[in-house]
Amino acid sequence: MKKHNYLLDGVILLVLILAGILGFLRIKNGFSYSWNWGAIPQFFFKLDESGHIKPNLLMLGFFTTIKLSFWSSFAAIIIGTFMGILRTRKNLFSRLTGRTYIEIARNTPPLVLIFIFYFFIGNNITTALGIDQWARNLSGAGKGVLSFLFSRPERFSEFLSALFTLAVYEGAYVAEIIRGGLESIEKGQFEASDALGISSIDKYRFVILPQVFRKILPSLTSQAISTIKDSSIVSIISIQELTFQGMELMASTYLVFEIWITITAMYFVLTISLSTLASFIENRMVKY
Amino acid sequence: MPSKPIISVTKLNKYFYSPDKSLKIDAVKNVTVDLYQGEVVVVIGPSGAGKSTFLRCLNGLEDFDSGSIIIDDIPLNHHHKNRLEIRKEVGMVFQSFNLFPHMTVRENISLSVRRVRKKSTAECEKITASLLDKVGITDKIDSYPGQLSGGQQQRVAIARALAMNPKVMLFDEATSALDPEMISEVLDVMKNLAKDGMSMVVVTHEMGFAREAGSRILFMDNGEIVEDREVGGFFEDPLEDRSKAFLSKVL
Repeated sequence: MKKHNYLLDGVILLVLILAGILGFLRIKNGFSYSWNWGAIPQFFFKLDESGHIKPNLLMLGFFTTIKLSFWSSFAAIIIGTFMGILRTRKNLFSRLTGRTYIEIARNTPPLVLIFIFYFFIGNNITTALGIDQWARNLSGAGKGVLSFLFSRPERFSEFLSALFTLAVYEGAYVAEIIRGGLESIEKGQFEASDALGISSIDKYRFVILPQVFRKILPSLTSQAISTIKDSSIVSIISIQELTFQGMELMASTYLVFEIWITITAMYFVLTISLSTLASFIENRMVKY
Repeated sequence: MPSKPIISVTKLNKYFYSPDKSLKIDAVKNVTVDLYQGEVVVVIGPSGAGKSTFLRCLNGLEDFDSGSIIIDDIPLNHHHKNRLEIRKEVGMVFQSFNLFPHMTVRENISLSVRRVRKKSTAECEKITASLLDKVGITDKIDSYPGQLSGGQQQRVAIARALAMNPKVMLFDEATSALDPEMISEVLDVMKNLAKDGMSMVVVTHEMGFAREAGSRILFMDNGEIVEDREVGGFFEDPLEDRSKAFLSKVL
């Protein structure tokens, strides 16, 4: 075996550390910015009048981002699986439906989609369906559950349009991932289940999709991470998620760098946990 | 021989087009044949003769262009329901096994019993155990297909097809993908099935099997049935020139 050259590794590491120190000193002395990290912790948690610890803006935004990404990823996987399957069917109508959805959702800027859905769904559909009314008239406990799972009742219809937009947008990518997965499954697997007289739904449920999901788990994880990051754009319709809270705080405190660095770190914590979880699941799966 | 055929094929035609659509190829040409309960019909012929395509038409894995197939009084047509009904009565074994790799042997076999026949878990267990006993691999019940040898995989695949308790079994070159030393273990299972009176349609290159277990030979060439004879007659005294030429090459 070739001997590893640790000396070279050491030199490279040293150079990187020196460059880091140099950069830090340049920033510290070269540009006059008075850092105030001490002001940040209070935006995570605060004490209310009775002395209890309450989550403050950053944590509230963090929770909203988690809820929003979770539900929209969940919905995106359902939409994507369905559309991905349609896309691979022989039937022309199925293929057209799948293709049309994917191309429209994928070839529209998400920001534009958000506005469309916000004004269309948020202002018309949810009102017409009485969802606003329903959320407002919930009992105390019902409101608690709604806030815990989704958002505060008075913001529920905005939350829904944000969720719907993200789900539709990310769903198109999921559909393409699923299609890739489906096309990688041998034809014999479909034929064997057909020959057994298994219904179409059972064929996908028991035979095809379990194999597909195993293959596409890494791409699906990337997509979920994208969903978390893309969820920041719904701040534009005043969903109070992490980026929105960051902008609010920045406007009121001018702690530009501290706040954005903190928020970057919070997104990072979220996405890195997700990819760690995914590789844990991958390793735990039965090898066949 | 009973009067009513279990499979009745009339004037079956299927074409393929060459990739540039200029050439029409007859994969199955004007095939008319009746198969009766308990018969072991062996389909032989040179490669490209349409044997597999014909077999795959019988359970609707391939669509055909004209003619009719009636299996156990159910016409095979574009009605999805008929197709499912027929597939419940017709088991199929593939050249490449096509076991479900993410399921254990037990799950592979019991899937159709549980989901299509809607049997209880206890019954599924009983059926699975007795089928594995029949194909001789009871100790592999909790293995994954990837852990089995080719011969074992194919025997599991036979058990899986039998789990639906089919009236007819189709074998599509079931031993062609196997290492030579594993061919006999699969052929033995097939011979036992034939002995037990299962109706079978077998596409194979194993002339030994055809002679020993077959009751009738369909010799196909260029999509047509050239000769349709009982086994003894075909091997002793083939009538057609094409059969003679084929036999002189393979025997």
